[in-house]
Amino acid sequence: MLVFLAVLVGLFTLEMQTSVQQALIEPFTGVLASISASLILPFDDSVIAYGKILQFGPGGFAVSIEAGCNGVEATIVLIAAVLAFPAPWRARLIAIALGFLAVQAMNILRIISLFYLGNWNLDVFTWVHLYLWPALIMLDVLIVFIVYLRYLGRRAEAGPDAKS
Amino acid sequence: MPKAELRQFLLFVFALLVPCFALWSFLGATLITPVIGLAHLILSNWFPDIVTAVYQQGADALLMTRFDQVNGQLVAIDSADAGLGFSINTRIVSYSIPFYASLHFATARTGYLASFCWGLLLLYPFILLGLVSICLKDLMVNFGPRFLEQPGVAVPGADTIGIAYQLSVLIVPTLLPVMVWAWQNRDTALLRGLQATGAARGS
Repeated sequence: MLVFLAVLVGLFTLEMQTSVQQALIEPFTGVLASISASLILPFDDSVIAYGKILQFGPGGFAVSIEAGCNGVEATIVLIAAVLAFPAPWRARLIAIALGFLAVQAMNILRIISLFYLGNWNLDVFTWVHLYLWPALIMLDVLIVFIVYLRYLGRRAEAGPDAKS
Repeated sequence: MPKAELRQFLLFVFALLVPCFALWSFLGATLITPVIGLAHLILSNWFPDIVTAVYQQGADALLMTRFDQVNGQLVAIDSADAGLGFSINTRIVSYSIPFYASLHFATARTGYLASFCWGLLLLYPFILLGLVSICLKDLMVNFGPRFLEQPGVAVPGADTIGIAYQLSVLIVPTLLPVMVWAWQNRDTALLRGLQATGAARGS
């Protein structure tokens, strides 16, 4: 538990540093916006995308994907959980990499769903954005971690040769 | 952990998530009342020269201060109700409650209600900490040095307030319910298998 909390607070504090935000988090958030736009544009030509912004035509509803909407915090929780649990380093690194992809896939789904929800109803958008989706993203982290622990259990059952 | 346990848990979590959040939206004002009362006690005693009261307005908190703005300048005032007030959305820290409820009631176990009440008791101090950290952030952002450099009052540093606010809003409301749920359900069939896995890896 102490390792988990130390890694969690350490990585989170690091993420909040202005230099890290500028060098890593903001460009990464821009990439997420680009990926979201590239998934929407082939199916919906009423949408325009520029920088971190997705918009329904000129003057239409728009969302700006900001820090805090990028799944980085959920990834930090996953990294802290994986590092705090005894396991071979190779398994830990694979879990973090695949977990990161799972969280980001969910996050892109979140961005796209919120974009369309906001265009439909702003109150529903606010409710889902602020409360429901953060819970779903954390549920995603929990599922990834449980699947990871099950994988470790199967390796342990398979015998010592499978541990390295 | 048997596969069926996990599948059933996930199915129930997704089924319960929206009803639990809807119920929490409906009860939001009632659930947050004790937290706002305690935040009022803490902040008005901690910063008696700055904070007059923390009121409840529906599910929001209203942080009232002893300052007003005159010609763009902050001035101290005597009247308790006439100062600048900041409206705070308490739901951004209290949505840990419906998330925890979804996890809790989706797990096959015995003694649902008593353990749910204990779980809430564990969540509430962190909801209070979250609300206090939002208030501290608002005071810091709006009053700057007049808040941070009060003579004779121990005020956390700007970085500490910033990190506490971000942690309270971005991580604690979603992480804490999972931690409380995992701890409370460590002996259920769902999580017992994971413990065995941990023991195997640790040996």
